[in-house]
Amino acid sequence: MLSYILDRLKSSIVVLFVVSVITFFVLMIIPGNPAQLILGTDATPEAIQELHAAMGLDRPLYQQYLSWLLDLFTLDMGSSYVYGESVTALIARSIPVTFSISIFAMVMAVFIAFLFGIISAIKKNSIADYFSRSIMQLGAAIPSFWIGMVFIVYFGIKLRILPVSGFVPIEQSFAGFIKSILLPSVVLAIGEVGTLLRIIRSSMLDSLKQDYMDMARVKGLSTGKTYIKYALRGALTAPLTIIGMQFAKLAGGTVVVETIFALPGLGRMVLTAVEHRDIVLLQGLVMFITSTVIIITLIVDISVMYLNPRIKSFQQGEL
Amino acid sequence: MNETVVLKDLQINAGDNILVNKTSIVIEEGEIFGLVGESGSGKTLTAKAIINLLPKGLSYSADEIITAGKNMLTASAEEKKEHIGKNIGYIPQNTVFYLHPMIKIKNQIGDGYVYHMHKTKKEALEKAEALLYKVGFKYPKIVLNYYPWQLSGGMRQRCNIAMALMNDPKLIIADEPTTALDSTVQRQVMDLFRTINEEMKLSILLISHNLGLVKHYSHSLAVMYAGQIVESGYTNTVFSNPKHPYTRLLIEIIPSFKIKKDERLAEIPGLAAENGRDIKGCVFFKRCPKAMDICKEMVAEHIDDKHDHYYRCNLK
Ligand SMILES: Nc1ncnc2c1ncn2[C@@H]1O[C@H](COP(=O)(O)OP(=O)(O)OP(=O)(O)O)[C@@H](O)[C@H]1O
Ligand SMILES: [Mg+2]
Repeated sequence: MLSYILDRLKSSIVVLFVVSVITFFVLMIIPGNPAQLILGTDATPEAIQELHAAMGLDRPLYQQYLSWLLDLFTLDMGSSYVYGESVTALIARSIPVTFSISIFAMVMAVFIAFLFGIISAIKKNSIADYFSRSIMQLGAAIPSFWIGMVFIVYFGIKLRILPVSGFVPIEQSFAGFIKSILLPSVVLAIGEVGTLLRIIRSSMLDSLKQDYMDMARVKGLSTGKTYIKYALRGALTAPLTIIGMQFAKLAGGTVVVETIFALPGLGRMVLTAVEHRDIVLLQGLVMFITSTVIIITLIVDISVMYLNPRIKSFQQGEL
Repeated sequence: MNETVVLKDLQINAGDNILVNKTSIVIEEGEIFGLVGESGSGKTLTAKAIINLLPKGLSYSADEIITAGKNMLTASAEEKKEHIGKNIGYIPQNTVFYLHPMIKIKNQIGDGYVYHMHKTKKEALEKAEALLYKVGFKYPKIVLNYYPWQLSGGMRQRCNIAMALMNDPKLIIADEPTTALDSTVQRQVMDLFRTINEEMKLSILLISHNLGLVKHYSHSLAVMYAGQIVESGYTNTVFSNPKHPYTRLLIEIIPSFKIKKDERLAEIPGLAAENGRDIKGCVFFKRCPKAMDICKEMVAEHIDDKHDHYYRCNLK
């Protein structure tokens, strides 16, 4: 178990290193002179040259990479020219936004998907099953920007019970915080719940067909034990992996929803960085998002292994 | 006279296809009842009908199914579940996937005991440990901490046997309980069955391909062929005076008394019928060395007064 985790950690570090190389060099060779961008089109060539040197951009690329990498270890990712602030501070400020709507959305999606996925697998062709199938289709068919707009018009403008844009930090007002993330989270949850429900339902159906369910029935266990301890236990691996992937996707920034609801999250920051060719900011964001995804995947893989411990090596001694 | 199982005129269908037909079994209290027959003859399905475990796609009908004192045809689903869980131990034929692969033995061996006998988990584990020891594990504590896939087929089979014994059931259905075991452990397990049968008056339905085993351990037996019971009775009576040509062939032709698993009997020409199990005549007609014209049309049922020897054959 421990050696598996260590193995995975090692490979994660290798992946991060490779990503850092690619991020750095690909973004560096993109046309466009950062100094020129900062100073604007009417700057003199001398001024641009001067800034270029001051930013260390005249050094060989590998030297620039090494110093960037070393700075990374001290969480110094340089400063953004668009915002005029340190990238670390900028990211730290948008994390609460993106993470709170992502977590809230996933909690809702997971809850609904498990509830209806399990019921619809156990009671196939029941009303709950039809309802679940509608959720699966609607979630996949309706674009999230459209739901977002409908929500804004209905809850924000017509009923006036929820804010239509902006983010209220939790330390400022808890109620305000919940109100500000509710609609965006619901929109995100609708986008994810269908896929997850489908996976849970089919894993459950598969698990219900296994021989161990016959045994649970013969043992005459309570319904809860039979369906949760035995059936669900055998059906968790795939949903867990999907939940990890979905959360990783959301945590990396949710451009559309953040834009519709004017939330200052990671997704919007990526968009800004790209629009303004803010290379330093973009490098920092890519590194941060990649690390997040890698960490989430690692956690999921470890949980999956814990659930399904066949990966573990064992010694079958004399019994 | 007390019966643990009464099964009268069971018929099992898969759509239009009849899989088991005209099957009746009576298992007396405290009796080891052997059920033998070639692969595909319907032994497992018959056993599953007794414990309400027939696969979903199959339909069945019967005049009577009484399992450990409860009428299965009139009981509600919930009553059946509670009754079977408490009073019957089931050792399935293929034990590989009957233990949940992701749950440690200790977390699945005792949950029925905790639920039905209102015991604590600790009491359940103590009992499980003792039973695992009885089925031949020298270090049951270690086994309890294993996942099923960490055990060999024979070990899993023994775990299933121990699990079936947890509630001190009234009836054990053992479907090929010793196939995956080597001969020493096989002896040990069969002797354990016999001991608990004698000590606790527990009835056992022993399904087996191994005629020798059934002859040695069972008090009564039934011979199944193509979905029907062709002969049944006290083991001594049937072996000393087999009436049905099929039974005779089994006893005479196969010196080892072993019908090979998953193989049709080469010694008796032809195959057991897969279809047409509801014909009026004898199901064994096509392979019977003594077949007569009348066997195509009808088959006589012989039941003696004391109900201890039954066979379906036109021979006298
Ligand atoms: N779920 C099912 N649907 C359709 N047919 C089935 C089903 N289960 C079993 N059968 C058929 O019913 C017949 C009897 O099967 P059963 O498992 O009872 O045989 P068996 O005597 O236990 O054989 P074996 O000795 O190989 O275990 C076989 O022909 C089998 O193909
Ligand atoms: Mg069978």
